[in-house]
Amino acid sequence: MATLAQQHYELSGHDSYISARFQAMASPCEFLFDTLDKSLADSLAQKGVAQARRIEQKFSRYAKDNLCFAINNAEGASVKIDDECYRLLAFAQTCFELSDGMFDLTSGVLRRAWKFDCSSHIPQQRQIDALLPLVGWEKVTFDQHSIQMKPGMEIDFGGIGKEYAVSAIADIYRIHAPDMSVLINLGGDIQITKPRQHKLPWRVGIENHEHVISIVQGALATSGDAKRFILRDGKRYSHILNPKTGWPVANAPSSVTTHAPLCVQAGCLATLSLLNGKDAERFLQNQDVKYWCTRV
Amino acid sequence: MKKIIMLFAAVAILGVTGCSSLGVQPWERDLLATDEMSLSAGATDLALDDHIYFSKEGTSGGRGFAGGGCGCN
Amino acid sequence: MQLNKTDLKKALFAASCTLLAGNSVAQDWDFDTAIMYYGEADRVQALEGIFQAKKTLKDDKEFSAKLVVDSLTGASANGAVQQATAQTFTTPSGNGQYTANTSETPLDDTFLDTRVQISAQWSQPLAENYVVSTGANVSNEYDYQSIAFNGVLGRYFNNKNTTASLGLSYALDSVDPVGGRPVGLSTMVVDNGQFSDEAAYRSAFDATRQTGGEDGKNTVDVILGLTQVINRQWITQFNVSLSEVDGYLTDPYKVVSEVDASGMATQQRYENRPGSRSKQAFFAQSKYRFESSVWDISYRLTNDDWGINSHTIESRYRFLFDNNSYLEPHIRLYQQGEADFYTPFLREGDAVPEFASADYRIGKLNAYTFGIKYGKKLKSGREYGVRLEYYNQASQDVGVEAPGGLNSLDLYPSLDAVILQFDYKF
Repeated sequence: MATLAQQHYELSGHDSYISARFQAMASPCEFLFDTLDKSLADSLAQKGVAQARRIEQKFSRYAKDNLCFAINNAEGASVKIDDECYRLLAFAQTCFELSDGMFDLTSGVLRRAWKFDCSSHIPQQRQIDALLPLVGWEKVTFDQHSIQMKPGMEIDFGGIGKEYAVSAIADIYRIHAPDMSVLINLGGDIQITKPRQHKLPWRVGIENHEHVISIVQGALATSGDAKRFILRDGKRYSHILNPKTGWPVANAPSSVTTHAPLCVQAGCLATLSLLNGKDAERFLQNQDVKYWCTRV
Repeated sequence: MKKIIMLFAAVAILGVTGCSSLGVQPWERDLLATDEMSLSAGATDLALDDHIYFSKEGTSGGRGFAGGGCGCN
Repeated sequence: MQLNKTDLKKALFAASCTLLAGNSVAQDWDFDTAIMYYGEADRVQALEGIFQAKKTLKDDKEFSAKLVVDSLTGASANGAVQQATAQTFTTPSGNGQYTANTSETPLDDTFLDTRVQISAQWSQPLAENYVVSTGANVSNEYDYQSIAFNGVLGRYFNNKNTTASLGLSYALDSVDPVGGRPVGLSTMVVDNGQFSDEAAYRSAFDATRQTGGEDGKNTVDVILGLTQVINRQWITQFNVSLSEVDGYLTDPYKVVSEVDASGMATQQRYENRPGSRSKQAFFAQSKYRFESSVWDISYRLTNDDWGINSHTIESRYRFLFDNNSYLEPHIRLYQQGEADFYTPFLREGDAVPEFASADYRIGKLNAYTFGIKYGKKLKSGREYGVRLEYYNQASQDVGVEAPGGLNSLDLYPSLDAVILQFDYKF
């Protein structure tokens, strides 16, 4: 029965489409199918939810029996990886290089010192100094078959995993329903497989927008969290951490949403812009992408 | 044999001069990736046509192997 | 982040494509089926069915298998000239006769043939930037068997915008004509009561049959291909191909009439063609995507050492509609020059040439096809199509002076055919 409960999603019909809502990756998720054929939507929803669960189970850092856990608890030993994991690591490598070392999947260990719970608690510098040796993508060695890193280091796929899942599900729908428009929304990271019929837009509510927005094509991803910060002595510390200093990036927007053809692209651009701190908007303008920035 | 060498040379020249500045980035393949833009779109129609023309005309092939396989010519 | 402007975006987008490219999951089987009717006015009627199954496996490996069944009934021109009087011919088996009425193209209607063809193809990536494909093909009909193997190696360049390919195919065909292979240019024996008995006729007939020699042919094809993406809407392809055929290339059922000065056919000789043929072809295709239509245009030039050259221009223009349907008008223009040894008839008194054929298919031809196809993609990914085409072929005068009565007869008849096809993909 456990698997049945895991697959659970709620299918409901609307005037011109069918939606499937479910919970995954600690967020509310939904698929919108541009069809009124319920059995078709049902079979597609099953495939998409299964893919979301598969990726979550494989790369979540909260699970105890998955690949991510094996990598993070190898204590310096080499861990065998598969092709999908290699592709994610290679992608992270590109982001690391493009951001001059700011985009770093190993920076998650800093959260042992930083607790972004809207409190005013700021860690001691020595706490941060103790953690910094465990941060640094350059200390990770990997190839197509294995990964190895220093004992105590951790990889957190959270920075790209959700966006990757969105794009991967979109690819599945392109194969199984090549002629139908499907919107994939995993906790606000969104991708559309193709424009809807009769040039109708999809309308979704996302963070940073008080109202629902219309989207015809491409993907949206949001980085940052307006609700996660530390406020101390009138100064606001964002939860975006600089892996080089161990401190939050100064003057970063509280969140950024970008538009790009694929969700993984939008997600990365949003994250990279946050890492630019006060220059976030200029960075996005330079990249010539559509964006929405929130500064509180 | 001379003909073969000439043909190889022709393709090589086309290849060298043809592609340096042409093409698209991987994310610009949205239109090219559609069925109707595939060079093998309508392969079944083409196969049926090839069979008809193979049996009614004196020349064949070009798009693919001229092949044998049929006593109709 | 020194990378500014779109450099970073480009690098990031390229990386994200690599990230997702490996996700080509194994797909269910795809089936492609079609049935086609081909009908000539008063002549050949054919029905052909195709059933193809394709499976894409992990890592872009692909397997496909195809079954083709076609059946042919009706009559086809035997090569003899029309006459002002009725003509009688011996059937290929030698066991019977057929006639052509006054001013009628002599047709041999004794054939009814069914062909079955099975083929399989496997393709997969080979190292980075290489793709390989191999296949085999077996075909069987009453008097003809063929087995063929092919291999194609493709190499991607320039971000997969350029693909160069080299393909090789080898086909081994065997022919077992009804009544055996005629001796080239021997005279058809027609029983007009001149034989004392059946045995005398048989021995005369048998004298026109070959006993040894080649009874098959083999074909080697080489194709060099280049596919080039020009931009987001435009893709082109160029092929250069060579084909070497060796063996029995004569049509055992075709004859050439020998006529006297008055234009009367005095005898029918079995045609004879050279035992080898070298062909070259150049093919260019271009596909352009407009706002809501796609234009596919191609040109083919062929040439061979029999002296036949041809030009083919083909255009398909697909109008795409919002409801996932399309309408596609099709035009094909074909022009062919005659083989060196093609002749509509032989002249009595002239030396019999080494090779001669009056088969209109290797004569001078102009042909055109007009057609239209309607197709619709269903939401489930299934797709159906209906196609109707009209084919017209007109044999052209090769400038041979027609003696006497032949003058008023149609030496270069034309042919009309209708093609109707249904296809369904699921």
